[in-house]
Amino acid sequence: MENHESTGRRSFLRAALLGAAALALSGRDLLAAQGAHGGPGDDMPDAAKKVLREHFGARPIKDGHVSLDLPEVAPDSREVPIFIETDLPMDPDHYVKAIHLVVDHNPDIYVAGFELTPALGKASIDTRIKMRRSSQVRAIVETSRGELWWAHKLVYTTLNGCV
Amino acid sequence: MTSVAGPLTGDARILLPPGIQKDSVIYVRALVAHPMYTGFSRDEKGALIPEYYIKTVEITYGGRRVARFAWTSGISRDPYVAFPLRATHEGPLHIAWTDTKGRVYTQTAAIAFGG
Repeated sequence: MENHESTGRRSFLRAALLGAAALALSGRDLLAAQGAHGGPGDDMPDAAKKVLREHFGARPIKDGHVSLDLPEVAPDSREVPIFIETDLPMDPDHYVKAIHLVVDHNPDIYVAGFELTPALGKASIDTRIKMRRSSQVRAIVETSRGELWWAHKLVYTTLNGCV
Repeated sequence: MTSVAGPLTGDARILLPPGIQKDSVIYVRALVAHPMYTGFSRDEKGALIPEYYIKTVEITYGGRRVARFAWTSGISRDPYVAFPLRATHEGPLHIAWTDTKGRVYTQTAAIAFGG
């Protein structure tokens, strides 16, 4: 017991120090640091790749047309504000059919799908999501012509928000 | 996070901006009170709280469906969502949230021009 407790205390202290060190780093440093330790960097985990294959098959997903507004560090991972916007048209013959939201390291990787119609006039979604841990967050925009565009951003979290 | 679904679950609101002009794109804000349990959290006694969340959101404007959202428990508690809408005509904006127990929560707001 004694041993366990002191180990617990030590690892807590270590975690606290690491946390403080992480907070002291800028976003760019965080990216580098996480990459170095096999954390949630730019590499998509296989499970997330599988989710994308299930939803989009082999269709290519291109960079562009999507703007993703998320905090670099989420103070509360139970409520991470996310704003997705696209400059793609909302015309009857060419419109944004859906916005898909994927979080690489969440238990449910595919967080939400928003089906839209030209009646909205514009395509954007503002909501709040939960994050289990630091992860890439991806917004994939699907057009009525079947094109896929995306943007992604690494969000650093401080605690498990899967409540 | 030990709070349980209170009597407020299902309290649904739609917020529209004031002074809507015909054919302008407005932003509709919608909120529903719901615990959005993931199935990973525990109650005071340490027992797992089963998964329970809003699964679909259907939005109709003047009786026509304009959007449909499919959610998981990865959407935060008391889900908030804001989306654009082109105010082409006066009429009811209706939102129905359906959860994993099949309960449906609804709210309607009138799209009207001017004032």
